[in-house]
Amino acid sequence: MASFTAGTGQFLTLGPTRRRSNPKTSSHPKPSTTHLATPIRCQQISSQNPNTKPSKPLKVPLKTLGVAAAVSGGFWRKLFSAAANADEEKGNEWDSHGMPADIVVQLNKLSGFKKYKVSEILFLDKVKSILVGSDDSFFEMVSLRANGVYTKAQLQKELETLATSGMFEKVDLEAKTNADGTIGLTVSFTESTWEEADHFRCINVGLMAQSKGVDVEENMTEKEKVDYMRNQERDYRRRMDRARPCMLPSSVHNEILSILGQGNVSARMLQNIRDRVQKWYHDEGYACAQVVNFGNLNTNEVVCEVVEGDITRVVIQFQDKLGNVCEGNTQIGVVKRELPKQLQKGNVFNIEAGKQALRNINSLSLFSNIEVNPRPDEKNEGGIIVEIKLKELEQKSAEVSSEWSIVPGRGGRPTLASIQPGGTVSFEHRNIKGLNRSVLGSVTTSNFLNPQDDLAFKLEYVHPYLDGVSNPRNRTLRTSVFNSRKLSPVFTGGPGIDEVPPIWVDRAGVKTNITENFTRQSKFTYGIVMEEITTRDESSNISSNGQRVLPSGGISADGPPTTLSGTGIDRMVFGQANITRDNTKFVNGAIVGERNVFQLDQGLGIGSKFPFFNRHQLTMTRFIQLKEVEEAAGKPPPPVLVLHGHYGGCVGDLPSYDAFTLGGPYSVRGYNMGEIGAARNILEVAAELRIPVRNTHAYVFVEHGNDLGSSKDVKGNPTEVYRRMGHGSSYGVGAKLGLVRAEYAVDHNSGTGALFFRFGERF
Amino acid sequence: MASQFTREWSGIQQFPAATQDKLLELLGRLKEKKKDKLTILVMGKGAVGKSSTVNSIIGERVVTTGAFQSEAPRPTMVSRERSGFTLNIIDTPGIVEAGYINDQALEIIKRFLLNKTIDVLLYVDRLDAYRVDTLDLQVVKAITKSFGQEIWRRVIVVFTHAQLSPLDCLSYDEFLAKRSESLLKVVHSGARFKKQDIQFLAKRSESLLKVVHSGARFKKQDIQNISIPVGLVENSGRCKKNENDEKILPNGTAWIPSIVETITKVALTETKGIVVDQKLIDGPDPNDKWKLFIPLILAFQVFFVAQPILRAIKNDVDKEVKPSWA
Repeated sequence: MASFTAGTGQFLTLGPTRRRSNPKTSSHPKPSTTHLATPIRCQQISSQNPNTKPSKPLKVPLKTLGVAAAVSGGFWRKLFSAAANADEEKGNEWDSHGMPADIVVQLNKLSGFKKYKVSEILFLDKVKSILVGSDDSFFEMVSLRANGVYTKAQLQKELETLATSGMFEKVDLEAKTNADGTIGLTVSFTESTWEEADHFRCINVGLMAQSKGVDVEENMTEKEKVDYMRNQERDYRRRMDRARPCMLPSSVHNEILSILGQGNVSARMLQNIRDRVQKWYHDEGYACAQVVNFGNLNTNEVVCEVVEGDITRVVIQFQDKLGNVCEGNTQIGVVKRELPKQLQKGNVFNIEAGKQALRNINSLSLFSNIEVNPRPDEKNEGGIIVEIKLKELEQKSAEVSSEWSIVPGRGGRPTLASIQPGGTVSFEHRNIKGLNRSVLGSVTTSNFLNPQDDLAFKLEYVHPYLDGVSNPRNRTLRTSVFNSRKLSPVFTGGPGIDEVPPIWVDRAGVKTNITENFTRQSKFTYGIVMEEITTRDESSNISSNGQRVLPSGGISADGPPTTLSGTGIDRMVFGQANITRDNTKFVNGAIVGERNVFQLDQGLGIGSKFPFFNRHQLTMTRFIQLKEVEEAAGKPPPPVLVLHGHYGGCVGDLPSYDAFTLGGPYSVRGYNMGEIGAARNILEVAAELRIPVRNTHAYVFVEHGNDLGSSKDVKGNPTEVYRRMGHGSSYGVGAKLGLVRAEYAVDHNSGTGALFFRFGERF
Repeated sequence: MASQFTREWSGIQQFPAATQDKLLELLGRLKEKKKDKLTILVMGKGAVGKSSTVNSIIGERVVTTGAFQSEAPRPTMVSRERSGFTLNIIDTPGIVEAGYINDQALEIIKRFLLNKTIDVLLYVDRLDAYRVDTLDLQVVKAITKSFGQEIWRRVIVVFTHAQLSPLDCLSYDEFLAKRSESLLKVVHSGARFKKQDIQFLAKRSESLLKVVHSGARFKKQDIQNISIPVGLVENSGRCKKNENDEKILPNGTAWIPSIVETITKVALTETKGIVVDQKLIDGPDPNDKWKLFIPLILAFQVFFVAQPILRAIKNDVDKEVKPSWA
């Protein structure tokens, strides 16, 4: 019959009616419930976008993004709502009890005007007549603390709280006077107990009306009371039937059964059960789950009522700079599609899903501040409203960064005239139409005074959600106008060859492609490229052939042809496709998994000399975990064996700038870029063993690159002209120091070793 | 091309009568086969006696020679006419410089030869050079690369300084056999002949003149026709002479008629001379190789590379380990 109404405490509150009814029901066990009302203590997750200016060009290699993301993870603040325990005011002044020492005083004998200092608090279990240790769960129910100063009224209130908590049949507070004027408090209690139970059931009562305990009226007749209780019993049955099963796994269920097997159901036992159940929920990330009630007590089945935290609504809100709610430019669908399914209405709120949503939204880089905040739904008890608060970034941004470079002047000494102002002007228009479309452009030059020397520009339009925002298919259209200038590794000398006059390859053109993302890392890109390639010598003159140094020391300009057309300028249109399959993941910071990339350039016969070709590359990398390790933060990463193979080949027209080069930090380490050769078909194989050392890893590697005898199939045979071997191996050791790799690599062709410092990862 | 102007072959009269008779007979034989023009290309390493050989065969001092003087810097063509028959001999500078193939010199030779037909290639080396090293191989390779493997069907390996007394107890013929065998081996490997073909040929011919096979393009029955003849030359003025006043080798043969005969034989093989055109100089265009198969290759890539990777991605998505809350 008991109805246990909620108090402000953290858990059960037994109404006085229970005690009253108890003697009557003791012979006639009735199902009873205890009601736990707890303020919902959910965590708020928020993110502050670390780069409020994402337009800033990221010069660090892509790999570092992983690190950056990890850093931004630190921005998630976990804000816990303030715990309910309000500290008692701790005045320094207190009054002596003014009584003889060592006498036991009833609480009501204390003076109402004095402030008593409590020297110690003891709990006495009256049934077992033993003092309960301070580690007992009862202790946390008492807000009194040793050495606190309390008035009589406060102590009485405390006693009342304890008495109504539902934990005790009977509870008393006694004071014992001490010689120094302080008092020692003894809480003597009789714990509430119910009949032994051997079944346990956990139900999710979220979104159901809470069972309101109705006090039994004093003036009810016996019959009325019996009827009432029967009604209650029936109601409760119905309630249990309607409730959804909760997700508690059977392992925890069994654990609880073993707790129940310890004997009579006592308040402390229920407390244990509650703790255990809540612990599981919270460990699994269901931060809003609460045990609200124990029902069906005094039967052989204990029913644990849980509010798991069902999401009733997802609210997306935009805030202006001052934090006021405002209308956002971004379309809601753009944000909505980033929310994991578990964060949609009807699911149970999970903090991990919230974090995932935060990460996903953050990766849109549209917002400077993101908060994912679950809060209780006032209109729908037990429900959770997920509130997503977003602060939008400026749509338009422009940036100028400048740098001065000092170029060696005459005699290698810098002069005033040789100081060159250089820099980048960039602008970005983000989130056009609120659909995350963007236009970005940048112009870079190393000399603003003479920008025609080397002007690199890029203008890009990005159009995501090609199939519509609501379509789960994730395709992005990109169009860009670009130019670039690179030193051709084809025109590089082999070992022991003095400077080979360099050839610069300028590319300018238009590129359009569509990227379909399958997973975060796996994607398929296809598109078309139209470009003009110009090859230039050191002094920026267009050169149609590479230069070579004659044995006599002279330079002859009849080296391998640089372009297909033979004029130094090629124009061509070709299709491009790239499939990346990447299922790598981090195991304690070590990358494990496999990555396959297939890249294809298909000439269409449009352009100078009607270039028709099929240029293909297949890269396969396996990161094999050599030892099972426990996955947890701070645990050492496993040793990893990396196997890597790269095949590149071209059938058809192959201008020298598209030849595959061997050697270099991303090809065969220990050699310079292109030092091994430039060929039509290449094969690279590499193996690397990574061994964790402290927080980082050391590694040994072997690599080999081979032109498969196809160097001669490149027009002009640049490999032979510049006296390169066409194949080469290397081996070495290295260590990762933060972002930098320090490695000592020995190349097999010349047999010499050298120490290298490189940014980023080889694989 | 200064001396391209064709002159009467007057030098032939300086040869001893026996030699003259022989030469005229050979020229007649050529004319019988309706061949009134013969172009001989002389190539080899530096300072092996190329120019001297040219002079000896023509019988005039047409090309400046000198023991210490450096090579003729550019190719020279000497043309002589005798009773309606034109003999062109192209002398080239050595293509080896400072231990490397001088690509530039080779380039100049190639350009010089553009639009000419080569009937015979004289590959000149010294008989008294005992060692055959990688440089020889490189020279042979360079020639192959420049003019194609076909040229080795028309080659005569010429050993100069033939009048030497062999060391040790080797007889002259034995020494000659050894020397030419080793050089021919290099020629074989440089011209990229297949091993089994060489073995096949070696069985066929017991003589030291090994047969040459060029690449995969020669059919087996053709191989019978390919043999590398060896000629011997002694340009020294102190060369021994026989009773007819002909210069003779230690084994007694008069070398000028003998080498001209060899030249005639080679020139009269059924195959046509090597026409040096732009295409030959450039070699087969690697860009055209397999070009017609690109659509097939593309189809293969789509079905056997791209599709499996896409399937693997789908598989990854299905297998993805979801966090416990998902």
